[in-house]
Amino acid sequence: MTRTRKPGISRRSTLALMGAGAATLAAPWVARAQAKTIKIGMPTILSGRVAQLGTSSRNAVMLEVEKVNAAGGLAGRQIEMVIRDSKGQPQEAARIARELVNTDGCEMLLDGEASSGSFAVHEVARDLGVLCIHTCSEASSLTADPKQHIPNAFRCVRQGIHDSIVGAGYAAGIAKAKGLKKWATCSPDYAYGRDTTGEFVLYLKKFAPDVEIISESWPKLFQPDYTEVVTKILQAKPQAMYSCLWGGDLTSYIDQANIYALFTQMEVFAVNMADYTALTVVKNLPKGIHSGDRYIKTFPATPENAAWGDAYKAKYNEYPTNWSWQNATAVMFLNEAVKKANSTDGKKVAEVLTGLTIKCPFGADGTVTMRADDRTLVGYAIGWGTTIPQEPYVPDVKAGDWKTIFELEAEWKKSKGYT
Amino acid sequence: MTELQAGQGAQPLEVPRIDARPQRYRDVLIALAAFALLALLPFIFGSKQLLDFVIRCAAYGLFATSLNLLVGYTGLISFGHGMFFGLGAYGFGLMMQKTGVAIPVAFVATLAMTFVVAVVIGAICVRLKEIYFAFVTLAFQMLIHSTILSWQSLTGGDQGLRGGIPRPPFLGIDLSNHLHLYITSCALLVIGLFLMRQIAQSPFGYTLRMIRDNATRASFIGIDVWRAKLTIFVLAALFAATGGMIMALFVSGAYPEFAYWTISGEGIFINMLGGVTTFLGPMVGTMLFLILNDTVTRLTEYHGIVLGIVILFFAIGLRKGLMDFAVEWFAQRRGEGRG
Repeated sequence: MTRTRKPGISRRSTLALMGAGAATLAAPWVARAQAKTIKIGMPTILSGRVAQLGTSSRNAVMLEVEKVNAAGGLAGRQIEMVIRDSKGQPQEAARIARELVNTDGCEMLLDGEASSGSFAVHEVARDLGVLCIHTCSEASSLTADPKQHIPNAFRCVRQGIHDSIVGAGYAAGIAKAKGLKKWATCSPDYAYGRDTTGEFVLYLKKFAPDVEIISESWPKLFQPDYTEVVTKILQAKPQAMYSCLWGGDLTSYIDQANIYALFTQMEVFAVNMADYTALTVVKNLPKGIHSGDRYIKTFPATPENAAWGDAYKAKYNEYPTNWSWQNATAVMFLNEAVKKANSTDGKKVAEVLTGLTIKCPFGADGTVTMRADDRTLVGYAIGWGTTIPQEPYVPDVKAGDWKTIFELEAEWKKSKGYT
Repeated sequence: MTELQAGQGAQPLEVPRIDARPQRYRDVLIALAAFALLALLPFIFGSKQLLDFVIRCAAYGLFATSLNLLVGYTGLISFGHGMFFGLGAYGFGLMMQKTGVAIPVAFVATLAMTFVVAVVIGAICVRLKEIYFAFVTLAFQMLIHSTILSWQSLTGGDQGLRGGIPRPPFLGIDLSNHLHLYITSCALLVIGLFLMRQIAQSPFGYTLRMIRDNATRASFIGIDVWRAKLTIFVLAALFAATGGMIMALFVSGAYPEFAYWTISGEGIFINMLGGVTTFLGPMVGTMLFLILNDTVTRLTEYHGIVLGIVILFFAIGLRKGLMDFAVEWFAQRRGEGRG
């Protein structure tokens, strides 16, 4: 008689599952039993199309929190992260943020939400007065708009406006050198895509006045088929193209545009290309795409940055994303601020955080600053380079100049009526 | 035989007129008792999470129950009911941010705006039947969602209404105080449910049921089916908008997701959970849905699988919503007891 294994879950795995389930259920009580822990809540997106945003943010936070805890915690209190999935819905983000503070007893929030969700969590921070650091939302208005200013909310994220200024400066240099006058744009049709592209074009024309936009395409966010967009651009015969498509949209676009050999016919500037999530997914990454840095372990080219990227890879078996470094930086900021304030009191920490400069592997000069007047991150490594199909993917990144960024950002804020 | 001849031979039919008043008094009493109970909750339990839960129940409950007026009572499966939830949230939020009028004025003005939009959209949609109705409502929903996304200067695009919704106190009610917001939401919920109950139990409500069961027959006995459908479409939209306003106050903003098809999908899901044959089915469904959502998302990020299994259990296992099942079960037991 032959014994066949029945399909389904084996007894052993059932026991393992039950064990894991019991451990998960017991975890909060075990944690509660440990005295003096400090809970930090984090609403983020762990499911759906941009789940990678949440998982890579969570990974980075845990990586840093483990270091802080191993070194004695925040002012002697071990950190316990409470991370929940908002599914990318603002009403869920608001609900979870409130619940984390009101019910779970979290004393601080790391807001790992994108776009509308971050604005919803911001309102919760305004309402409850809890210390909150946004770690994923790149929308400039989140901190540039004075209506959004509250003393307890900070943003530890790169910004669309910074990317546009640096990108346009870099692109203008190449446009002048290669005589690229006819440009096309192709960006997702929502606020981020429209704003970032508009700002890029504005500064490109400022730096290289004879540039002309001859074709604009606005594919829908999460559009699966880009054939019409690609053919439209090819028909317009531009010399260069700018795009702020990102993630899966960008990789689909590149795979589909490759079929039409688009990349051999024009210079392509894709600000969100140089992120491992995009670089490693594209089937045939064309050589010579110009991109802004998202996260690359070779930029800034310091041993600290490389070590951090490798440590992340060793722990999670994948490279970090742009969201990862931002979240890691937020934990570093908290750690430093608590040390300086010698307290975990949200108000005191917020006071120290305002204007704080810390050492950081992702800083342009080895440090990053939480700018005092709008409580947002500046001084992070920002630059542009061209791709190659294998590691290190973007071998030579030209760093942007923060002095120029500050000048033009101030002008931009004025033009928007923010200052 | 002509109609006249037929009429001559027949005895005038005595239609017994049921006095609806006792039932209405009963409903008023139930509503008052429910409100009193809800109002006492914060004093019994200090949990802020519970208050948040009830506020969200009020927003989703009004939305889902109003959807049931269309789905359960009239047989109009709307896939786009969420647009009115979104319109309510945006209308109210914008009114408060841009004009600075008193909250009750913004409330009424939002309802007026929803009324106009619902009349226009409804006039087009209710002419269609079944799947065509469902898809045209969905199309309008996507139109409104796209408009919200594109009209950035007014709506803030995908970032939503920024800067919070101002809540100047009125008549001693300060909605920036969470307890006041809670009591106001409960009041809106109870009043909304009471009004919808009166609509459902009125002769008009029974006309809707008749249209659901046999629209041709209804039109043959002289009912203007189109007008009746349009009326309930607009009324349901007003209650959905009220739900949206509560949600806008809860999150202190309005976001395009409020007008996305997923909100309509959640409404249908809630109705399936709670059941569409009883008035309170969607309310029970709302509570079930929110409890499920809150507990499952707490435990796992694979909540989609869990919620999917639950809906399969209701659709294939029970073949009806929870309230339908409970009502049938009680009826059966009572029958057995008598037998």
